[in-house]
Amino acid sequence: MSADSTAQSTPPPVVQVRDMDFSYGASKALFDINLKVEYHRVTALIGPSGCGKSTLLRCINRMNDRVPSARVTKGEVLVKGKNIHDADVDLTQLRKQVGMVFQKSNPFPKSIYENVAYGLRIHGEKNKSVLDEAVERSLSHAALWEELKDRLHANALALSGGQQQRLCIARAIATVPDVLLMDEPCSALDPISTLKIEELMHQLAKEFTVVIVTHNMQQAVRVSDYTAFLHLGKLVEFAPTEELFTNPREKLTESYLRGTFS
Amino acid sequence: MTPVPTNDNPFAGDNSGIQQRETAARWALRIGSYIVVIITLAIMLHIFIKGAPVVFRSQWPFVNTQFLTELPATLHVIEDQQGNHIETDVNGADAIKKKLGDNFRAEKTISYSGGGILGPIVGTALLVVVSVGVALFLGVACAIYLSEYAKHGKFLEMVRLAILNLAGVPSVVFGLFGLGAFVLTAPTFVDVPADRSVFSIPLGFTTLSFEGWDTCVLSGGFTLAFVILPVIITASEQCLQAVPQGFRETSMALGATRWQTIRYSVLPFATPGILTSSILGIARAAGETAPIMFTAALAFKDKLPWQKDLPPLPADASIFAHWEQSVARFFGIFTESVQALPYHIYTLAAKIPQNEYAERAQYGSVFVFLVLVASLAASSVMLRKRLRAKYRW
Ligand SMILES: Nc1ncnc2c1ncn2[C@@H]1O[C@H](COP(=O)(O)OP(=O)(O)OP(=O)(O)O)[C@@H](O)[C@H]1O
Ligand SMILES: [Mg+2]
Repeated sequence: MSADSTAQSTPPPVVQVRDMDFSYGASKALFDINLKVEYHRVTALIGPSGCGKSTLLRCINRMNDRVPSARVTKGEVLVKGKNIHDADVDLTQLRKQVGMVFQKSNPFPKSIYENVAYGLRIHGEKNKSVLDEAVERSLSHAALWEELKDRLHANALALSGGQQQRLCIARAIATVPDVLLMDEPCSALDPISTLKIEELMHQLAKEFTVVIVTHNMQQAVRVSDYTAFLHLGKLVEFAPTEELFTNPREKLTESYLRGTFS
Repeated sequence: MTPVPTNDNPFAGDNSGIQQRETAARWALRIGSYIVVIITLAIMLHIFIKGAPVVFRSQWPFVNTQFLTELPATLHVIEDQQGNHIETDVNGADAIKKKLGDNFRAEKTISYSGGGILGPIVGTALLVVVSVGVALFLGVACAIYLSEYAKHGKFLEMVRLAILNLAGVPSVVFGLFGLGAFVLTAPTFVDVPADRSVFSIPLGFTTLSFEGWDTCVLSGGFTLAFVILPVIITASEQCLQAVPQGFRETSMALGATRWQTIRYSVLPFATPGILTSSILGIARAAGETAPIMFTAALAFKDKLPWQKDLPPLPADASIFAHWEQSVARFFGIFTESVQALPYHIYTLAAKIPQNEYAERAQYGSVFVFLVLVASLAASSVMLRKRLRAKYRW
């Protein structure tokens, strides 16, 4: 799906974090992070609360720019080979290509249709048939089309929690991003809805690259190809999921996975 | 050990007076609330009893159309030898006197108490439209800037403090400010600057002269706008803050610019609240007397703002000339001085000798004034309800 394939036979990682330090004002939140996210893979970020998973995730689409005095103090973040802190990077374009789904499902209090079409409208799409087509495609991707096709103009707040979260996924993929960032997308959902979204994740990975923050180890095992374990702002271990869970290289990882964590 | 059951009440009070104090406190608070309710009702009832008979009629069309559709005029009351009182206007007086002949005993004139109050109603409506328009525009812009763009810090605190102070400024101060700023120095385009012009900038085809807008709807409306600005800014900011942060985050994460985010996922959800705040603004703007006294309102005016004498057009005038004159007439509305309800009531109550006729005009005006403000508020509340139903989260 990218034009890079003509340049190299093996595509470069879609997201590459190099030696990155990150601070909220005076307090440092991330230390010397190195991370490579491959195309069409699901990468999970795990770690204890407050270790910096959300912060790292939000570095990838520069959502941290919204926090005053928060900044990358060392190193760089490359998306599709481009340093996203370069002066000629347009934030709206970056975020169009790096979508995000939040922990708390937060559909706009508008119709289902308008929710999904929001990103495209923002980027200037006015053609009704293009929008219709994108709404159908995105909802199908999010496994919602069959459920909702007859009430596209109903208020999105009338949906169940799980449906709302899948709607948020549909909304995020409507602009066809290369990378989809998800910050604990299932933490507010019941097991059935969680299962649905996990199933979705495999489908999504066929078209998009997914980075997901999760507190749930089993979820990381079920959905991800790679897992990164963070602790106190440092990336302790980054490996293929199976390897990390069955045969962790670091002691810290092992004790965290076993739950014997001090 | 097992307690021995007794017939004593284990929960008996200790009679230390706690219960009595509780009762006393409850009654004190209750009486306070009742007093407020009773006084409010008394005010309403008083105005209704005194005002409704002026406005309503027992026969069809049940309203006093004269009172609502005529301009204020001097009332002439002619008394005949039998003690009958005949009310008339300045034109009718002579005819009636002639008809009565020897039967004529006395004539009284009461200023402003005859005719109706259309002039003040129209004037107040125009002032409210201008002031709420200006205040909403400036206030919402300011609130958006403060809530969405400005960085938190010293400057923001200072601006907030300034706004809070603005709310505490007595309205007569606004009146004087309006006199100085809008009546005497506001910039306007003229062909030849007046002598009183503070300074003027020639622009070739016209001159931008700081000579003020004179006493007119525009001056008064802008002055009133500043009176209600703090209310609107504060309330609008609260409404903007009440929109969940998640909407902004989501919108930005989808690649929206800040303005797009505000336009499509903040403002629509803050609008119901902002409209409600403008209701308060409307009621306040309609009720203020001091700010318009020097800037817009006249005690008496015998013309409506659009009844200005314009040079008659020649019979063969083009449609364009007619159109041009209509436009001039429309904009002329805003450069006319007007009567206004609160100022009219003040004039009736304080500037003319008091008698039953003046009192009647007072209460009629007050009643109409209250009904107008109340219906405005009611319709805004309804509008807000409908918007709320549409945008709910
Ligand atoms: N806006 C902020 N301003 C200042 N410090 C922050 C901010 N957001 C997060 N932090 C700090 O940065 C560190 C990492 O926070 P982060 O939210 O990334 O953790 P997390 O791993 O996502 O935790 P959780 O699993 O609880 O969501 C924490 O110590 C937190 O206190
Ligand atoms: Mg987090």
